[in-house]
Amino acid sequence: MGFRTVCASIVCKSTYRLLRLMKRGGTSLPGKLALKVDPNYLNTLAKGVRTLVLTGTNGKTTSTHIVAQALENMGEQAFYNRSGANLIQGITTEFAIRSSIGGKPRYKLAVIECDEGALRRVCAAVDPEVLVVTNVFRDQLDRYGEVTHTLENIMAGVKNSPHATLCLNADDSMVASIADRVDNDVVFYGVDCEIYPERVEDLSDATHCIKCGAEYQYDYVTYAHLGGFKCPSCGYHRPAPKVAVERIVERRSDGCTVELRVDDDRSIVDLDVPASYDIYNCACVVAGLEAFKFPREQAFKAVSKFKHGFGRSEVFDIDGTRVRLMLMKNPAGCNQIINLLLNEPDQNMGIVCILNDQECDGTDVSWIYDAAWEAICAHKHEAICSGGRAEDMALRLKYAGMPSGGIRIMKDYDELIGELGRMDHNVTVVANYSAMLEFRAKVASALGLAGFWEG
Amino acid sequence: MADNMQLTIGHLYPDLLNLYGDRGNTITLQKRCAWRGITARVVSLGAGEDADFDDIDLFFMGGGQDFDQYTLMEDLGIGRAGSKASRLTAAIEADVPVLAICGGYQILGEYYVGHDGQRADFIGAIPVYTEAGEDRMIGNMVYEATALEGSPTVVGFENHAGRTRLREGAVPLGRVVKGFGNNGEDGTEGIRYRNVLATYSHGPLLPKNPAVADELIRLALQRRYPGAELPALDDALEWRAHDAMLKRLV
Repeated sequence: MGFRTVCASIVCKSTYRLLRLMKRGGTSLPGKLALKVDPNYLNTLAKGVRTLVLTGTNGKTTSTHIVAQALENMGEQAFYNRSGANLIQGITTEFAIRSSIGGKPRYKLAVIECDEGALRRVCAAVDPEVLVVTNVFRDQLDRYGEVTHTLENIMAGVKNSPHATLCLNADDSMVASIADRVDNDVVFYGVDCEIYPERVEDLSDATHCIKCGAEYQYDYVTYAHLGGFKCPSCGYHRPAPKVAVERIVERRSDGCTVELRVDDDRSIVDLDVPASYDIYNCACVVAGLEAFKFPREQAFKAVSKFKHGFGRSEVFDIDGTRVRLMLMKNPAGCNQIINLLLNEPDQNMGIVCILNDQECDGTDVSWIYDAAWEAICAHKHEAICSGGRAEDMALRLKYAGMPSGGIRIMKDYDELIGELGRMDHNVTVVANYSAMLEFRAKVASALGLAGFWEG
Repeated sequence: MADNMQLTIGHLYPDLLNLYGDRGNTITLQKRCAWRGITARVVSLGAGEDADFDDIDLFFMGGGQDFDQYTLMEDLGIGRAGSKASRLTAAIEADVPVLAICGGYQILGEYYVGHDGQRADFIGAIPVYTEAGEDRMIGNMVYEATALEGSPTVVGFENHAGRTRLREGAVPLGRVVKGFGNNGEDGTEGIRYRNVLATYSHGPLLPKNPAVADELIRLALQRRYPGAELPALDDALEWRAHDAMLKRLV
């Protein structure tokens, strides 16, 4: 037990308690201070803990929850970064509050969602046993620079994980290419078929071969640049996945049924969420648990049983109006919501778009022009826009073909909730991250919902 | 003046230079034409795609990733007679309007020197050159477009590591009010060269800056249909979005 470790623990734990006493959330500060005291603090805390790390642009929060809940259901002593703090400071705090003053862990397993930019340092410290990469999409570009930089950030984390089994998305040409650059064991996962009968054209983030620059050909596309890619020039192609969603058995407004395969074991699985990215989350969770050496039946059960929520197709009843809340983060995710709305049986479904530009959202909102709102505006002639960048959202809808007269700007959430309650049709609210949190909190206080981090 | 006016927009490298919602600019040009009964067709000029440049009334080139910028050099064929690069240069000299954003702006310039000291020679159609800087210059920006009729205020978002400098005598598109601009030092933003408007401003640029959009349409229209006028549109929502950002920044 090192003196520095003890000092770091005291600083971390006391700051954490103090923040709680002051009723302040904040999980970053304690870890930040502790790492100042002992730069190797996280290395010490993670020693002896089997760690599964998840990273990538989309799906890491949800997938982390599903894996963690699966482990819990199996009676494993596991923890995860429930607060969603996914930089090294917050992750350090999560480990510290579950360790003794001497830095000895009380848990055997950890499931950690990690920001791509933080991955290099986090992996160096925790030496993951499994590293799951979901996908690489353009997202919050003002923070990271550009898409290939995101891939390089992930690569730096992979290089610091010499003992990890990598779970890579076979359908993402950027993510799959990681396998050829390292010697780690790899479990590929993917979706073997198209997902939507009607689908908007996405702007692809990876049109050209990452290895030779020639334009990819596709056997099929699930969404955006994901699917059965192959390069006609150098032959680089989608690797055969060990874990695959083989077919979509049924599609519903509030969920779907898919057939999953691991090697030759198959299972029909019901999901309580309907979007294409939910189907990918499901495949990546099963791959992660496979690489973590847990029984397949448990993995199938885990994805089947998981209850989503927290802005992922959550439904509220506001004075008789059924309101569905969906999180949009970037063009790829947003287009999947648009696909859902296009395939929505309820023709009268109304739309509210809430757009913020806080740090956690990305301060550059230009990506809304990369999402295919035109497909929505061909059917819908009315919408309400809210959030700090409501005007930009409204303008996007105007240029997507919605008549100006049908677009209303309503920045006050109380007014918006009142208006929702007066509507005579169902509504889908599409909001980006901080907007979703704000709106949800307002609805919660108006309707008296329980606190919203149920995990 | 023709009743049924038509314009052709050549979108250079929509397959490679497509970050930051820049396609919002072609959407805007098309819509603002359509609302006035002008048919605006967008021709995709991606890698391996071509058209007769004499048919193009307005070129657009957006920003992209470093990785892809090297791939497209091959297709531009800089220095080769009859290549896209040389025909684009000729079109610019013939006063065809061009909107170039960020990466597209840099590529129209003379060269780019990367972090590693490597120099990439670009088209050289406009008198600017770019050198990579240490930090990226990122954030909302405002500039006064002094090179345009009426010096309209422009709001946008910049995100670039390159520092661009104008050759002596070249005219910047505007003066930075808030943000970094060409290089974060001399207060200039973009360039106006003949009818080329080049800028670092994403956002995308045109939806919230209808005066700039209409200036481009006017330049294109009057080359094809001398004396043609642009009727005013109801831009209440456009200016509301413009002013909301302006109010926040200035």
